[in-house]
Amino acid sequence: MSDESGWRIGVDVGGTFTDLVLIDASGATSVFKAPSVPGDPARGVIATLELAAAQFGGTVADILGRCDLFVHGSTIATNTLIECKGAKVGLLTTAGFRDSLEIRRGWRDDVWAHREPNPPVLVPRALRLPVRGRIDADGSEHEALQAEDVTTASEVFEREGVESVAICLFNGFANPDHELACVEALGERWKWVSASSDIAPVIGEYERTSTAVVNAYVGPRTATYLQELNGQLAALGLRRPILLTQNNGGVIPLERIIARPVALLLSGPAAGVGALSFYRQAIGSDNLISMEIGGTSCDAILMHRGDVAVSDEIKVEGYPLALPSVDIHTIGAGGGTIAGVDEAGLLFVGPAGAGAHPGPACYGFGGAEPTVTDALLVLGRLKAGAYAGGAVTLDKALAEAAVGRVVAEPLGIAVDAAALGMIRLLEQHLLHALQRISIQRGHDPRDFTLVAAGGAGPMHGASVGRMLGCRKVYIPRRSGVFCALGMLHTNLRLDFVRTRYGRFDDVAMEDLDTIFRALEDRATGELEASGAPEIEHVREIDLRYTGQSWDVRVPVPGGMPDKAEIRIRFEQEYERLFGHIQPDGVLEMTALRVVGTGILPAVAPEVSPPSTDEPCPTERRSVFLDNGLTDVDVYKGADLKPGHRLTGPALIDEDTTTVLIGPSDALDVDTANNFMIHLSERET
Amino acid sequence: MALDAVTLALVQNRLDHITKQMGWVMTRTARSPIFNHAHDFSCFLTDASGIVVAQADGIPIHTGGGGFAARALLDTFGGDMAADDAFLLSDPYVAGGNHLPDWVIVRPVFCDDQLVALSCIRAHQSDIGGGAAGTYNPEAKEIFHEGIRLPPLRLIEGGKIREDLWQLLMINCRTPHYLDGDLRAMLGATRIGAQQVESHLQDIGLEEGLAYMEGILDHADRRLRAVIADLPDGVYRGEDRFDNDCFEPMDIRICVALTVKGDSLTVDFTGSHAQIQGFKNSSFANTYSSVYMALSSFFDPAIPRNEGTYRNVTIIAPEGTIVNPLPPAPMTMSTVFPACEIIHAVWRALAEADTPNACAGWGKNAFPITSGIGEDGNTFVMYHWFGSSGGGAVDGRDGFPQQGGLNSLCGLHIPNAETFEQLFPIRFVRQELRCDAAGPGKYRGGAGGDYAVEIRAPVQYAFRGEGYSMPTGFGINGGKDGAMGNMTVVPVGADPITPPSYGVRHIAPSRLEMMAPGGGGWGNPLERDPALVLQDVKDGIVSPARARDDYGVVLRGDELDDDATNRHRAAAGK
Repeated sequence: MSDESGWRIGVDVGGTFTDLVLIDASGATSVFKAPSVPGDPARGVIATLELAAAQFGGTVADILGRCDLFVHGSTIATNTLIECKGAKVGLLTTAGFRDSLEIRRGWRDDVWAHREPNPPVLVPRALRLPVRGRIDADGSEHEALQAEDVTTASEVFEREGVESVAICLFNGFANPDHELACVEALGERWKWVSASSDIAPVIGEYERTSTAVVNAYVGPRTATYLQELNGQLAALGLRRPILLTQNNGGVIPLERIIARPVALLLSGPAAGVGALSFYRQAIGSDNLISMEIGGTSCDAILMHRGDVAVSDEIKVEGYPLALPSVDIHTIGAGGGTIAGVDEAGLLFVGPAGAGAHPGPACYGFGGAEPTVTDALLVLGRLKAGAYAGGAVTLDKALAEAAVGRVVAEPLGIAVDAAALGMIRLLEQHLLHALQRISIQRGHDPRDFTLVAAGGAGPMHGASVGRMLGCRKVYIPRRSGVFCALGMLHTNLRLDFVRTRYGRFDDVAMEDLDTIFRALEDRATGELEASGAPEIEHVREIDLRYTGQSWDVRVPVPGGMPDKAEIRIRFEQEYERLFGHIQPDGVLEMTALRVVGTGILPAVAPEVSPPSTDEPCPTERRSVFLDNGLTDVDVYKGADLKPGHRLTGPALIDEDTTTVLIGPSDALDVDTANNFMIHLSERET
Repeated sequence: MALDAVTLALVQNRLDHITKQMGWVMTRTARSPIFNHAHDFSCFLTDASGIVVAQADGIPIHTGGGGFAARALLDTFGGDMAADDAFLLSDPYVAGGNHLPDWVIVRPVFCDDQLVALSCIRAHQSDIGGGAAGTYNPEAKEIFHEGIRLPPLRLIEGGKIREDLWQLLMINCRTPHYLDGDLRAMLGATRIGAQQVESHLQDIGLEEGLAYMEGILDHADRRLRAVIADLPDGVYRGEDRFDNDCFEPMDIRICVALTVKGDSLTVDFTGSHAQIQGFKNSSFANTYSSVYMALSSFFDPAIPRNEGTYRNVTIIAPEGTIVNPLPPAPMTMSTVFPACEIIHAVWRALAEADTPNACAGWGKNAFPITSGIGEDGNTFVMYHWFGSSGGGAVDGRDGFPQQGGLNSLCGLHIPNAETFEQLFPIRFVRQELRCDAAGPGKYRGGAGGDYAVEIRAPVQYAFRGEGYSMPTGFGINGGKDGAMGNMTVVPVGADPITPPSYGVRHIAPSRLEMMAPGGGGWGNPLERDPALVLQDVKDGIVSPARARDDYGVVLRGDELDDDATNRHRAAAGK
């Protein structure tokens, strides 16, 4: 091994596999996969490093010693929440307002399924303890904080075995003094204290409380795991602390995030932003929609003019989080999604999935329900035999039996037709998900290139892209490690917000400038401490017409432009979103934001010289396509080189995925060694 | 035509998705916050005979009711429609409306010169004139006091808006700037719906398209028939009531006799009270929607909710009664009350037919609306959602602690109190859950709100609530009723006022105090897991005395006294 440094490593711990992507000093990229170890995720991480060491002919220490940037996407916080394995939390609230967490604003996502209970309240009422004192809406103190209430509560928490304390006081977003006084009064006794004004200083007591409480809940376990992993890696030779992918799509060093692990709940899928930022260079377009499909779900992200929208209204497992997060639309549609027929004879696919175990019927692990993977195997779009280095073996007879028994027989149709129906229905769900993330947000999907990724995405990309009206579909060859790779192509990012209500015409621009500067100073301080070589800030204002209850976020160009300029920008965005403006409407401001970015050196896509030979299929297979049994050329991914062009129908077997292109579609292998599909006109 | 099972699933999804896309256009382009925020509208597609085939989940109380408007339009204009026309209607008496504020825009869809479908939106307007701003006039005694009545009207003729008609609408509304924008949004969204249905029919073919629409209705029909067939044949009864007609105390009952025969259901309201003076009458369409909602919320939520679903349901609503009044009875409140009473009555009857799945009653919302001039000189209107009542229990879960009304089934966001403090001249004192208000049961009701707020400006209070003089969240299967509510308004420096259930009062700066009604419990409270009762006591939702008296659970300090509990429960169970 050479001894140069400057390597980058991204590790994404998923439910089934742990993915590692390594970029060495020359820019060459390698990928490694090992089974995840749910009980001890660090073991899966070390296992992938051992695979890498074996390939490079050295030790794990050799690899880590060369690494300048180790980025980790961890589902530990998410799993803690899903499995209800978090800390016992005590909550301090303003006297008279202890129940917002339980009232949940009276809302349920699925109203008709009202027999289902709500997700558990993370802090029982007996541990939501009142503190007297009141901040008014304008931030002034109406009634002084009664610190003795904090002491009393702390004693109760101690007696009840509380491990982690959350604080959310009424109007705490407008003035954090009382929350800070609570932190002080709690003293050294509590290692974990999560104050809402620190974690999510936004208006809205329910979402702010929920955010502080989830942080308190997932914090101890998440921090312990990450610190242990970091310690293990340091002992093995890693010279810098690990970086973590946050909900906002950016990365941040461990020590900066350790007190705010709630910002890691979307750690995995949010890394898709980095992947889009990377691939857009090779694609040559800033308008992309990604469709990343794994075993259980499809995550869709839209990039418009190079930006991915960040909102602070997300929900994880039914718990709202008021944190800047990448706008991801997720549906239950993946390789393991289960199909069935209802009692009145209607076919359905999803949203339930078979998970990693038992998984699809064809895995032979005891699954009896037909999944999408089974249908693809029945249709010949997937090939029977060993996959993922022999981790699973696909058995076509088992797939046919499951599809036959559960779908074909009740519907009275052939097994092939049943499998075809399952795929058509799945692809319709995918189409609707992509229309939602585009059309509902005011974008025309026909202006975008679809990026199909994840282990299962490339199988459906051409078909769904065609229905969506796209002309091109991009398939990264390293589709199966989309997020791990994305982690290596992102920047450090911190979002700061200050809630400030007022008529926009009445506010003094100098006052806004003062607030912006304060937020920028904080961002700069944190980013410098994180070792960012180059720092950029973007200022944003949340504006609305008076009387409305939703905001439009407007970027403010450098310096402080005049109000007329900001109004024009607001109206442009409002027009795009809502199709009209109110020329005489009074503007109201609700929040000021600063996005601080620590820019990491970009890695250019590897460029390979075009190959001059012609690609050769390895076999010609009979495959069921939409219009029946068709002979399809099957290529081995490794045989396809930049400059190659294929015409559909064709299948490409890659290590971690299979690509399907339809009749008359053309596929180019681009200079970055990925696949660009040029779709033919719509099939009938 | 033999239908292909896969195509049927694809077509059903596609039509449902079209109605969702209509909703996206609507929320993105409408002006008034009621659509963007409260989603008080529904988008639906009907077949050529006006039967609802697909409906995006809007507000649950709109379920299936849009078909009445579609059919009223067809009765009026039938063969006299063209592709570039659009129609508007609202009146409950002549136009299949549910209540006057909900206006319906309809666009016909043609394929090969044949009328094949209607693309429709029903949406609650911000104002429609009448005796009170904001469409709710608790003092109305005739429909004429409630706003402008719209028979089926051709609003767009050959692609052009009829300007004279448009102006008629605008001058009859207090907020024409909203109305203008909202109508255009409805027109835009129904156009998208019509275009998408056309393109769907081009893809699939006209004959096939029509056959599959029928297939969707048939499938839904089979789904509901299957669950009805599982119920034992018989006649089951249920009722719910008002104790006032908006003006004076009165015993007003809504009675349901539900007959199950094979896989069919008859819901007979014979014996229900005559129509009343106040605006709590239910239009014919709203009565149907309320029954549909009661059924769909009782059975498997996976069963579709188009009009095919309810083919096997016959509804008998005698003319001149509160569920099918004659003109000019007012009825704007109907989508809340008596929608809630109808749902409760049907649920009670279903509880007799399918006891384990019985649903306890939801406490009825009773909070007022205040309006006045804010500190910025602008008029403000504030709904006091923070005093929302508790939901009812079912087997396996307690009632939801606070909810924005049974007619939305928790589909309405209660605002954050902090947001309202920014907007209005108020200071919140308390928004918590009540103690001992939840109806006891093996699964208990929701507690309901304990709410207090100071209002710094003189305001007009519009009171429009049930639940202050009798319990409203009924218990079921041995569960007990939720507590009733109470409300006091204390003007600064004056004696407290006990408000009327319905009416309008002008009150100086004041403090509003209210306890919202609790939801009903499900099952015998003596069977509730003592550990859950202990937790409720620790949480302050149940007092130690009521733990003993209602639940038979005896505590010793912070712990269960198992022996005493067993003895107490054994004695109480006799």
